[in-house]
Amino acid sequence: MAESVTTAPEQALAGGVLASPRMRKGLTVVGAILAVIVVWEGAIALLDLPEYKLPHILTILQAFVEPTPKGPVYQLLLRDALYTGFEAVAGFAIGGVLGFLLAVLFIHSPLLERGLLPYVIASQTVPIIAVAPMVVVGMGQLGAPPWLSKAIIAAYLTFFPVTINVLRGFVSVERDALNLMRSYAATKAQIFFKLRLPASVPYLFTALKISATASVIGAIIGELPVGSTRGLGVQIVYGSQFNTFNPGFLWATIIAASLLGMAFYGAVSLAERFLVRWRHP
Amino acid sequence: MTNPASSTPIIEIQGVHKVFGSGPDRVVALQDVNLTVHAGEFVSIVGPSGCGKSTLLRLISDLLQATQGEIRVNGKTPHQARLDRDYGFVFQAPTLYEWRTVHRNVRLPLEVMQVDRSQWRERVTKMLSMVGLDDFHNHYPWQLSGGMQQRVSIARALVFEPPMLLMDEPFGALDEFTRENMNLELLRIWEQTGKTIVFVTHSIPEAVFLSNRVVVMSPRPGRIASIVPIDLPYPRTFETRESERYFELMTEVRETLKEEFTKAV
Ligand SMILES: Nc1ncnc2c1ncn2[C@@H]1O[C@H](COP(=O)(O)OP(=O)(O)OP(=O)(O)O)[C@@H](O)[C@H]1O
Ligand SMILES: [Mg+2]
Repeated sequence: MAESVTTAPEQALAGGVLASPRMRKGLTVVGAILAVIVVWEGAIALLDLPEYKLPHILTILQAFVEPTPKGPVYQLLLRDALYTGFEAVAGFAIGGVLGFLLAVLFIHSPLLERGLLPYVIASQTVPIIAVAPMVVVGMGQLGAPPWLSKAIIAAYLTFFPVTINVLRGFVSVERDALNLMRSYAATKAQIFFKLRLPASVPYLFTALKISATASVIGAIIGELPVGSTRGLGVQIVYGSQFNTFNPGFLWATIIAASLLGMAFYGAVSLAERFLVRWRHP
Repeated sequence: MTNPASSTPIIEIQGVHKVFGSGPDRVVALQDVNLTVHAGEFVSIVGPSGCGKSTLLRLISDLLQATQGEIRVNGKTPHQARLDRDYGFVFQAPTLYEWRTVHRNVRLPLEVMQVDRSQWRERVTKMLSMVGLDDFHNHYPWQLSGGMQQRVSIARALVFEPPMLLMDEPFGALDEFTRENMNLELLRIWEQTGKTIVFVTHSIPEAVFLSNRVVVMSPRPGRIASIVPIDLPYPRTFETRESERYFELMTEVRETLKEEFTKAV
């Protein structure tokens, strides 16, 4: 019996450090980064890839600090990322509100739902890459500020997950949860605000997390057509045109874009954690 | 002997049929049900699973509509009685809103019925105290056991002081000990307030202990097989459960159920 009792120092050795969840999480992240580096550099070495096909990680890191007339590249990219981020957030807000209102409309009018939902779904099958230039050029001719057309494209990608998920949230309420309200002779508005709306919040956040990253992609797609002057999309076009001469740059813009998407996703997750505290962990 | 039951009919059910679905899915849930519950009466409904007990409660409360026959509640249609908030309903499952704390769950009917805000805290606190959940105001439903959740749902049904309570197996999820305590508590509330209570249960001892009358139902199609009057004196106490008459009445209900069951098979 006595042998099976481990002492405190033994436990620390056996995994006391690893037992801390924060430590374990940190190690996982470090491990993942190491794995990417190994695979990345391994691929270059094994397949004998030239820099313009896949640059070394060091080349990419160097590209970030390379000086330009307007300051080092990372400063340039930060400015563009903030601009693209602004367009994405604007589109996210427009799309989120629109998507939500559509869901509210549909839940209160099954007729409208049956009539309009197929078109809403069809709207998402349109290849956005093909439509984006028309939107950007068209809105430019109408005198809209350049960021607005990008926001509209971001909104286009944002609203759909919101509509579909919120609608699912609205109908997710159990029959007796609804019967309870009916037994109180609750009004339609009360049923909506005290039951359907709060019940849909977790579904809303599922959608918003998808939309957060989609809106960044939408804004970037909006910046691709000729005529755009600012934003990560412009830098991506620039980077791919000059990829042979400066292979690190394109990847630097790609990394900047994905960091932007992740930051946005993280912000929405944080908001979720604050607002959906009642959830079973 | 206190027995607040009067002879004023408050729920009148005449020739009620309830059919669900059609074609091969057609289920006759209730067939020719006749029952009168008097104001202040405590009536229990027992019967095997699927015999239409919940359906009957839902018809009375206008959550479902009868296929045929007539129901009057307080002299009104069930629909009007619902709009007048004549009853509180305790569902078979606790049906708490998971985004609301215990306190705010119990407060829900007060909000919906626009009861004066100044009364909310006091009334909710009183109810939670009554069901023994003083220390759980700020817990969320998932943090409670099934039995505790059901007690919250009972507090919620009582908080707006409806003259009538429709309870669908409210104590089914409780352990025997808590259940017996809740039985005594419910009887105390009933005797104090003179509410009319229709109470569905699977437990014969519980039905006999609580009620003025026990309605025995039989399945396929759901019918009222017989109604057993319970002549045990009120107030009923722990001693009641040991009295000879209590056992006789339990046997009577059980025999009726068994008879119906063998007939059905
Ligand atoms: N909404 C519904 N649609 C179709 N059939 C239903 C519906 N509700 C109940 N039924 C059927 O009606 C019958 C009676 O159901 P009910 O729920 O009233 O039984 P119960 O006596 O309450 O049973 P339990 O004791 O298991 O709760 C069952 O055969 C059931 O399948
Ligand atoms: Mg039932």
